[in-house]
Amino acid sequence: MSRFPTTSRRGGAASGYWTIAIAAGMLVLAFSAGCEDGGATRSSGVSSEGKPAADSVPRGSPSEGGNGVIGLSVLTLTNPFFKVIADTMTEEAKKEGYDVIVTSGEFDVARQQNQVKDFIVKRVAAIVLCPCDSRAIGPVIQEANAADIPVFTADIACLAPNAKVVSHIATDNLGGGKQAAKGMIEALGEPGGKVVILDFKQAESCLLRVQGFKEVIERHNAGRETGRVEIVAELPGDGQSDRGFKATEDAMQAHPDIAGIFAINDPCALGARAALEKAGKADGIKIIGFDGQPEGKQAIRDGKIHADPIQFPDRIAVLTVRSIMRHANGEPVEPEQLIPTELYRKKDAESDPALR
Amino acid sequence: MKTPAISRTLSDYGMVLVLVILCAAFSAATWDEQSPRGAAAGEQVAGFVRARVAPPGPIVIVAKRTPEDSDFAGSIAESLRGAGYRIAATVQGDPSELRSALSALVEADDVPAAIACGESPPRGLLSRLDSISPRFADVPVIAPRTYRWPNFLKSDNLLNIANQIAVIAIIAAGMTLVIVTGGIDLSVGSLVAFSSVVAAVLIRDYGGAENASIASMIGCCAASIGACALVGMSTGVLVTLFRNPPRIPPFIVTLSVMLMASGAAYMIAEGQSVNQVPPSFVWLGRGADLGRVPNAVVLMIAIYAAVHVLMTRTSIGRYIYAVGGNAEAARMSGVPVRNVLVLVYSVCGGLAGLGGVVLASQLRSGAPTYGIMYELYVIAAVVVGGTSLSGGEGRVLGTLVGAFIIAVIQNGMNLIGLESYTQKIVLGGIILLAVLLDMMKKRLR
Repeated sequence: MSRFPTTSRRGGAASGYWTIAIAAGMLVLAFSAGCEDGGATRSSGVSSEGKPAADSVPRGSPSEGGNGVIGLSVLTLTNPFFKVIADTMTEEAKKEGYDVIVTSGEFDVARQQNQVKDFIVKRVAAIVLCPCDSRAIGPVIQEANAADIPVFTADIACLAPNAKVVSHIATDNLGGGKQAAKGMIEALGEPGGKVVILDFKQAESCLLRVQGFKEVIERHNAGRETGRVEIVAELPGDGQSDRGFKATEDAMQAHPDIAGIFAINDPCALGARAALEKAGKADGIKIIGFDGQPEGKQAIRDGKIHADPIQFPDRIAVLTVRSIMRHANGEPVEPEQLIPTELYRKKDAESDPALR
Repeated sequence: MKTPAISRTLSDYGMVLVLVILCAAFSAATWDEQSPRGAAAGEQVAGFVRARVAPPGPIVIVAKRTPEDSDFAGSIAESLRGAGYRIAATVQGDPSELRSALSALVEADDVPAAIACGESPPRGLLSRLDSISPRFADVPVIAPRTYRWPNFLKSDNLLNIANQIAVIAIIAAGMTLVIVTGGIDLSVGSLVAFSSVVAAVLIRDYGGAENASIASMIGCCAASIGACALVGMSTGVLVTLFRNPPRIPPFIVTLSVMLMASGAAYMIAEGQSVNQVPPSFVWLGRGADLGRVPNAVVLMIAIYAAVHVLMTRTSIGRYIYAVGGNAEAARMSGVPVRNVLVLVYSVCGGLAGLGGVVLASQLRSGAPTYGIMYELYVIAAVVVGGTSLSGGEGRVLGTLVGAFIIAVIQNGMNLIGLESYTQKIVLGGIILLAVLLDMMKKRLR
């Protein structure tokens, strides 16, 4: 019974000094990191080209960027897609004299909400979100609305009612799905065959891709007796390579004669490819992916994936920054702006300077 | 070595000191230009206008669509009208509305003599008015004089911090009890998701969805908290299943419960977020009935007061410390060790459930993806607060301080603009240092 609370509180004589030493250590840790990265993420922009305000008004501190700060919170920075959005936006905004604060919700909408609240406290000029949850992000967007800070969404839309978003800038996923179907029809050629879709039903964007894919396949099959492309299964690939791998193995058990696989993103397509290689069927079955991430493009070049409708995160970022500028300038901005995908085949990969 | 009293105070309240130092440091780092707001700013700008432009002006007033900017616009308009100025227009809206309002003035050949705006420095369209018409090139934009004050210390931000940590802190109160008994509960993060989903699904399916009454919402939330307390109770029963050591380690039991609760949450919600709840559901998480203090923060304070009394003023509290200090000795002296353990795991589960309800209320929906990694933040808050992982010592108010340290670091790093990778490293380093401190205290005793 020696550790009742009354006795357990006693610290040794020197432990107080340890506390101080450790507190100092924490501060050094927090601020050495702060200095390193603060410099990188908040490098000040070009000063504004506008005429000076009233003489009685001191100018904004130069560290704040000439025109203000844009707060960005993406879904995750572990996906190169969002990394490209963040980097391109930072660069593009700098040209306009804005700084970008880059944060990431890492799939946790509660964390993303806190990041947005911190942006509101900072009274940023605009907020850009790739929501971690299309509906649960609603309340905090309403808070930004109440503070009269314009909110933009990139890639992932906000579906919450009453949350006002100035503009949503994203890939045309429906059109991309149609291109994927064209790629599939082209890959299978005259004989056609059985096709499996590896989908991700939780993501609106992936539902649209599958919808566009099916539309074109149905149109292709209409009135056709031979050479039909038949969708025999839609399995959850969850956009991850391990799930794509398992789903493909299951699909091959159920349909040993499949001719093609449409995976809704590159990691899932590569998982499917690994399963085909393991089963020794890699050469007979065509894969269509989606995204055009570097590993996907490399796989297209190596002939592992037939083709990808590729997205342009850099164009999304540039258009987002332009929309923020147009809005700040009082010019009209479309509520939804879609960027078309392009079908990327082996010959595109062979002439792609980014690959070797 | 000074007097023992000083060093004892330091070791008892060392973490408070750390918190104060962190606050001071973040205040210094977020020292920034601030624009005055509200009616006072209106008076100030009216003074600047009188000094620069002779009546009758005319003057255009530009403000944002927030209540305090409405106060600004009202007070400046009143003050200028009183001094004989004419207000050509008051614009509160999007930049596009400002553009069309100013263009209309140019059309009507009524270019203002000055534009008064509520935010300093003037940005966006206000910094390039000549893009509307060259006639604006010489029109001064008059804004309030800025002052310097840390973003961190704004009252909005301080309330923000408290609100952001409320969920973690509420769960950490329960976790403190468990850790003081020498156990650990890894299931709390999953229970947050489970509870948010159960509450939202109950409201959707049985409470009347968007039209649910307040009573039915309270019932549904109580049911989901109760379900989590039951899960906690079964954890406690499993941990104490064997009367004598070796027992099943709580680490393993709660690891299994963590997986099961997370799976169950995905199953009940069918992998989607459930948002068919009435707008009034946000009262708990986002409302503020006591002045500007959010209800979630009031709840958090009430829970800490209750747990503090439980730990320091009741025999149950003494039992909890006794079990953590030496379970065998406690049993010999007649402490009902098994009941105490079942109780602390139930309380911990119930508080995790409450945390889930608060989070669901803040986000106005329940989803199985909530609470990712919360168990680690919660354990971190407890450990940083000075509770020993080997059990037997620790105070719940220390945990509150620990939770605030974590919240302040996260908030401060967001305000500075640190990216999230670095934030993780800093947070991990701080937890490590806190454990080191714990070890030093023991060794030097």
